[in-house]
Amino acid sequence: MKETRALIERIIEVNSAIQHLHLSFEGSPGRIKPGLSLLVGVADIAHPYLRESWWPVSIKDDFIVVERPAKERYEIGQVVNALGYIGKPYLFRRNLRNVLLVAHDTPPTPLLLTIPWLLGNKISVTLVLTGTARTYNTEHLDRRVEIIRGDEGFTWPDQVMNAGWADQVFVTTGGADENAAFRMVYDHFETLRASVQPNYLFGVFRPILPCGVGACGACWLASKRGAAMICTDGPAFDLTQMVR
Amino acid sequence: MAIEITRSGKRSLILETPVMNAAGAFGYGDVYRDIIKYEKLGAIITAPISYEARSAARGGRVVPLDSAVLLHTGLPNPGLNKVLRKYRSLWESLALPVIVHLIATTDEQVRKASARLDEEDCVDAIELGLRDDITWQEASRLVGSAVTKTDKPVLVRLPVSDAYEIADAVAGAGASTLVVAAPPRGTARDPQSGKLISGRIYGPVVKPIVLNMVGQIARRVDVPVVGAGGIHSPQDARDYLDAGAAAVQVDSVIWRSPKELEIIARDLGGYIVTRQTDAMPDEWHRGMGDTEQERQRRKNRRDA
Repeated sequence: MKETRALIERIIEVNSAIQHLHLSFEGSPGRIKPGLSLLVGVADIAHPYLRESWWPVSIKDDFIVVERPAKERYEIGQVVNALGYIGKPYLFRRNLRNVLLVAHDTPPTPLLLTIPWLLGNKISVTLVLTGTARTYNTEHLDRRVEIIRGDEGFTWPDQVMNAGWADQVFVTTGGADENAAFRMVYDHFETLRASVQPNYLFGVFRPILPCGVGACGACWLASKRGAAMICTDGPAFDLTQMVR
Repeated sequence: MAIEITRSGKRSLILETPVMNAAGAFGYGDVYRDIIKYEKLGAIITAPISYEARSAARGGRVVPLDSAVLLHTGLPNPGLNKVLRKYRSLWESLALPVIVHLIATTDEQVRKASARLDEEDCVDAIELGLRDDITWQEASRLVGSAVTKTDKPVLVRLPVSDAYEIADAVAGAGASTLVVAAPPRGTARDPQSGKLISGRIYGPVVKPIVLNMVGQIARRVDVPVVGAGGIHSPQDARDYLDAGAAAVQVDSVIWRSPKELEIIARDLGGYIVTRQTDAMPDEWHRGMGDTEQERQRRKNRRDA
């Protein structure tokens, strides 16, 4: 981990809800993989004492493209302080054929970088949007991704078939209590399948980050494999390993 | 320059620089190794550790405030023995003192933990963290439990509430140093959940309150005082030394800008030297030396 600075080179208004920032870096920020996010401090835009995770959604030319809400104001040439990438890459199974991505009450941004990688490896991708995520505009996503819009709750058409067909599921949720939300997700998948096996259902956690590097203890998570920090050991955790 | 931050005697602790991180702001010492030059710091203080494992608080843990942030972690940790197993080799490899922050739970656990830490060569001192609603009698008893089981210095981090009364009591019970103070507790509504959350408050807003306490406690007890709370710049840290602190601890600014801890340490390292000799602190203060040199260069160019 190294303090570095990123320059906003381009701003693309994707639609009325999201914008894509093209970032270049002073030095190399390292190799980006699905699951990693960029830890930034933007005191004049966000909170002066908190850091933010910026989720890359693609790599174009030499730029890292991150997705931000359209309501946030950025300028071309603006410098952003960054502490490099945090977290660990998503763990995909070998012999993967079908992956289900689910966003509930939050944009699917943390899941999007998986799409080019999965499609590039001939793995089919289904993106399910439920709750407030249903309004997420998907026109900018690859046409090969199957998009399913569910209802206000955590249900969608053909969910039993999707859950059975998927080799792995990655879920991101909104709401104040992520632990409670992922307990609900686990319980729901238990009703969709005879049993939820390890390495099948992953929750992608997104806590508020005071430090983002495991120094403050705010994102401590208890799992059956021992304690973990979401910022450094996450963001994805196997929901069968969570301590209830 | 050597700075003694404890009472003189067999339980003494001498630092090269009067700047440390505060417990809970720096992990166990492993997190910022690639960013901060540790040799510039006086010591490192570990994240709070209890004798037995503790789990994290449930529900919302972070509430952004206008000029601060409220944090409610529940002080989760895997317990003293597991921490020692994991971090002993790191602490042994560091060329600066390591102070273990021990959560003062019960007399028995404090005794056991202090005895355990006394055996560890990689630990140079213990900082005892007292809970906020503690009475001076309990505080005195817990400090007594620690000092009877170890020959290492025992620093005591005071809670903001009843700090003066507790300062007298723990000084009498054998505390080597008083750390003034733990981040104050507050209650705020979590905008995400709509629930009220109680926790510790971090931010510059804390400094005036604690700075006042440092001055009063330093005059009141005959034990060195370490100032901690709301330090966000070298000047904030200097203010604590001027108020009577022997050293300072830096907390939440590390999260926002880790390098600031090193900058404060470099500045105070120089300040301590220049203050002794009434020298001008320019060259030690960040940027000031360069600015003066640049001014001089411009003046010379104009004159030429």
